[in-house]
Order: sequence, then C-alpha cells, then structure tokens
Amino acid sequence: MTPPGRGSTTSVTNTTPARRGCHHDKLYRLPASRLVPYRLRPMSVSIPNDEARDLRRDVQVRIRGTLDALEQLVGGLVTAILALAALVCLGAVALACLVGVGLRLASTALRVVHGLADRERDRLSQRGPQLIGPGPRPTQVRAALANRDTRRELGWLVTHGTLGFLLGLLGLVLPLNAVRDGTFPLWWWLLPEGEATSSLGFWPVHGWLGVLGVFLLGVGWIALAVGFAGGLARLQSWPGRRLLTATADADLALRVTELTATRAAALDAHATELRRIERSLHDGAQNRLVAVTVLLGAARRALTREPADADALLERAQSAAEQALAELRAVARGILPPVLADRGLAGALAALAASCGVACRTDIELPGRCAASVEATAYFVVAEALTNITKHSQARHATVTLRRERDRLLLRVEDDGAGGADERHGSGLAGIRGRIEAHDGGFALTSPPGGPTVLEVELPCGS
Amino acid sequence: MRIVIAEDDPLLREGLALLLRAESLDVVAAAGTPEAFLEAVDEHGPDVAIVDVRMPPTHTDEGIVAAVEARRRRPGLAVLVLSAYVEQAFATELLGGGAAGLGYLLKERVGRVEQFLAALRRVAGGGTAIDPEVVAQLLTRTRPDAALDRLSPRERDVLAVMAEGLGNVAVAERLFITEGAVHKHIRSIFAKLDLAPDDRGDRRVTAVLRYLEDARRRG
Repeated sequence: MTPPGRGSTTSVTNTTPARRGCHHDKLYRLPASRLVPYRLRPMSVSIPNDEARDLRRDVQVRIRGTLDALEQLVGGLVTAILALAALVCLGAVALACLVGVGLRLASTALRVVHGLADRERDRLSQRGPQLIGPGPRPTQVRAALANRDTRRELGWLVTHGTLGFLLGLLGLVLPLNAVRDGTFPLWWWLLPEGEATSSLGFWPVHGWLGVLGVFLLGVGWIALAVGFAGGLARLQSWPGRRLLTATADADLALRVTELTATRAAALDAHATELRRIERSLHDGAQNRLVAVTVLLGAARRALTREPADADALLERAQSAAEQALAELRAVARGILPPVLADRGLAGALAALAASCGVACRTDIELPGRCAASVEATAYFVVAEALTNITKHSQARHATVTLRRERDRLLLRVEDDGAGGADERHGSGLAGIRGRIEAHDGGFALTSPPGGPTVLEVELPCGS
Repeated sequence: MRIVIAEDDPLLREGLALLLRAESLDVVAAAGTPEAFLEAVDEHGPDVAIVDVRMPPTHTDEGIVAAVEARRRRPGLAVLVLSAYVEQAFATELLGGGAAGLGYLLKERVGRVEQFLAALRRVAGGGTAIDPEVVAQLLTRTRPDAALDRLSPRERDVLAVMAEGLGNVAVAERLFITEGAVHKHIRSIFAKLDLAPDDRGDRRVTAVLRYLEDARRRG
C-alpha cells in the first residue's frame, strides 16, 4: 500500500511502438490468440508538479506518434517494394501480350495484383478504419480490364509502387540519418582523414566545429522526423485508402454482412454476461437464502424438542443471511461498481491500488471513456488480480498499467512475487478469463516459478 | 431410511444433512459433484437420494442427469430433486418415464420441515411429490386437452393438490373439505379423464401425468 503522506508516484513510460489495436468493425471478433504482449518499460521518475507532468506526457505522446509513423512508413515500404516488383512484371507481361505470348501469364499477374491489394488492405485496416475488399474479381484479362475494382487496384499499384516507395524510403532513411549524424561525435575520429562527412555525403569534416555541424544536422533530421513523419505516413497510405475500398454499391452488401456478424457477436457477449449474473444469483445468494430457511426450519423444530440447540441453529441461520447479503452486494457491484460512475476507470483503479495489501503503482493513460461494461470488466480483472497478488504471490510490489490503443484497451498487472500462478487452481483466474471472453477480448498470463507474474488483457472499448 | 445428498453448495449440503440427522434420519453420504454422488449411490445403496438440479461443471441440469443415471443403476431408488427455480422441462424430463418414487421441489420448501419430511417419506414410499409451484404453472396454462377442460374449478383444485403427491386425507385438510367430498371429486375427475377403475397402474399418478404430458406436448 502506498503510505499516506508520501507524494503519489507517477511513472513515465518509454514505449516501443505498441501493436496497433484492431480496427473498429472487427471489434468483437478478435480471437484471444491474436493477443500479442505489448511491451511497456516503466521507469520511475518523481515529478514535482502537474505542469511538468503534462509537458512530459506531451513529449511522450509526440515521440510515440513519430515512432509509430516511421514504423508505418517502413511497413508501407515493404508493400511498395512488392508493388514495384509487380509493376515491373506487369510491364513485362504487357509487352509479351503485344507479341501474342503473354495472355496466359496475364491472369496469374492479375491474381498477384489482387493478392497484393488484399495484403495492403489488411495492413491499412490494422491501423485505422477497416478497408473492405470488393470480393472476388475477374481474372480474365478482358473482363478484368472492364472491372472497376481491378482498375482501381492497378491505379493503386502504380502510385504505391512509385510515390509510396519513395515515401517509405524516406521513412527508413530519416531515422538512420538521425542516428548516424546524432552519434557522429562519438566515432568520427575512427574514420580516415577526408572521409569523415555528414550523411549528406559532401562537406568533409576536419575539426570539432564540423563535428558540431554534423551533430546539429542529426538534430535537424530528428526534428524533420518529428515534424513530418505523421504527414508522410498519411500521404503514403492515402492512395490505398482511396483506391482499395470497394466502391459504394459493392461495399454496402459486404458492410451489412460485416455489421450483422459484429452485432451478433455483441449480443452473444451480452448474453454471456447476463448468464454469469443469473448464475451468481441462483448459485450464490439464493443458495444462501435457502440455507437460511433450512436452518430456520431446523431451529423451529429444535424449539419444540431441544430448545438449547435452537440458538446454535439460529446463529448459523443469521450468518448465512449475512453471507447472502454480502453475495447480493457483490453481484450488484459486479454488474456495475458504483466507484466507476463516481470516479471513472482511472480513479477506480487508483482506489483499488491504494487499498491493495501490496505496494501498488498505477500507470494509467486513458483518454475518454469506454463502454460501461468494458470498464466494469477492466475494473474486476484488476480487483481480482490484486486480490490474488495479496493472497498468494508474496510479492512486494505490483504495477497496474492501462493504455488505450485506438479502440482496444490494454491492461497489464505485474508483480515481483513467487510466480507459479495457474488458471486451473482457484476460480479467480478462470473468472477473469470468463469475463474477458464474454467481451471477446484477449488474456495472457505468464507466471514462471520464481516470478515475476504478468497478466495481460486486451479488451475492445466498445465506444 | 438411508439417504444420500447431492448438493454442490457446501453450506446448503451441511444444513440439509444437519436437518435430516436432527430428525434421526440416516444420511449416509453427502456429495458435492455428480460423480461423487453416483459413487456414493454405488457404495451405500441408499433408499432415497436428494439431488440438486444445478451441479458442476456447467451448473445446468447435471443433477437431473445424475439422478436418471442413479435410477438406472439402482432401480427403485427414490429421488427427490431440489431446484432453485421451476423449470417445466426438468419436471417432464424427470417424470416422463413415470412418477413413482420421484419428487420435484423448490429448494426453499426444505425450510418447511414437516411438509418436506412428509414429501420425503412419500417419495421414499414409492409415491410422488411435486412442488405446488410446478403444478400451478401447469394448471394456469390454457390446455388443448379437451378432457382437462371439462373439470370443474373445484376438481382442478383437487387435482392440483393431488399432483403434489398428497393423499386423500391431506387433500381434504389442505382444501378444508371432508374426505368424502375429496373421494367424490376424485371419482369425477377419473370419470372425466376416462380413467376406468380397472385400469392398471395408479390412476392418481396417471391423472397427474396427463397434465405433465399435455404441458410437454405444448412446450
């Protein structure tokens, strides 16, 4: 527990570009197996006041955004290289067709283009609104050339194979140059005289003044990356977003299918949740109350025969009634914990951490709010995990980390305890899994003997 | 009377055993899972089993399944099923093959100890005990069975109480009428349902089963 009076400790996280959340329309269909542990490396820094914290957060967001954009550009570069290669092949096939031998190859080439376009759709869908493909396309050359979707794909192939390729290259070169020139003062003296230059190639460096110049150039590269990487990434993905979506008429039917499936999954999740509540009422509180009536019945019988026994029975009946009340409270809280409405998820988790029996740090970044049932689930997962840590782990410290990555909520609870947590022993972890699966989220537990134990959860925000 | 209890809730299991032992009944085993229950039936050869419908692992109808299996292994075993709520499907599943030595009660009836013990003894003696709630649900439905529609309101009352498994004296007490009146009503019910006196089997049970059968056909 955080001792009162010691200022609250906030952590600053240095985040490698985290895996992008799944796109919106697939919200409820992400299988648990898709859960890839995201890497967060917390390092503790005490921050005296809010202003500094805001600034730091701002910088953090900037850096994360830049790294993200660069990653996206390089990802685009991969498909751009493939597109360029396909473009060259297409050119060759077209030439062959002119001399009358390429027609057979043409349909294969078209299939390659379709496959490549689908791959790009997947990639872009991972990072933003979902792109729905047009479905099966003709592979007969004449029909394909008349097909609007195929023509659009070819248009994308040309732009992405050229412009997209250059932009991707820029995304690769910018950070490389930044690192090269930024670290130049550390190793320039190793270079033979006359060959020490900046990344631009000209302007040989002879003295420390030149080295400073190269270093400043490195800073300039970083500034360029921070300033323009986001824009470049958007520019690179723009043709794909425009040309690879199915046209409005074809789009509609697919979208309806998609939404119907999503909606059905959402209703399933809802039904699972209701079933859980029904069970906890019937098998919990109601059983306690039945026990009360049984014990009261026994007590009444005892009154006529052996009044001395009655008191013990009444005592047991009373404690069973108290248990029933506790269970009802738990069920009501399980439906929607009041603290969530009062303080929001971040506040509710902070309160949980503060009341935890083990020193627990929270690192929560949650812009906006999620669907109430998702927040409730996140809250319970943390509550259950912290209870487990207090009871079983012998840990001295625990950390709760919460992030929102587009429409996914990423939650991580970590402790430095003895490890060896197993879902099969004790219902707590199984309960966590049940709740998460009801929301079609993901769940991963690593707990080697000797620790540490890490619980990672991913939930669709549903808002 | 040797009794085996199958109930997954520990508190309730203990409470039930406590209550029955206080009444000097012989509770030979109390099991928390269907498997443990079936083992106990094999091992102890009880006369009566008291079984909760919802048992692990899925907490749906494992209790009923186990009860049916127990009766298959040990024909003549009387089974009193306790349920958290009335589910007609359970009732018909259980009573579909005949109602002798079977009971289906809401859990809270256990608290009314005298009535519960009476029901338990009735079931152990080869009779039937059906919860008033189940019977009420069956009777309040509009039924397509024309024969059942011919019953007068009073006769329906009598059949309802009969369906719980009570004998004539108990029916008379419950409805505040004389035993003679009960006899008269029952004869009339049998006549309207075309149950001739020389029919084999218990006409009382047959009359009750008509309701259950009818309900199942509609359900």
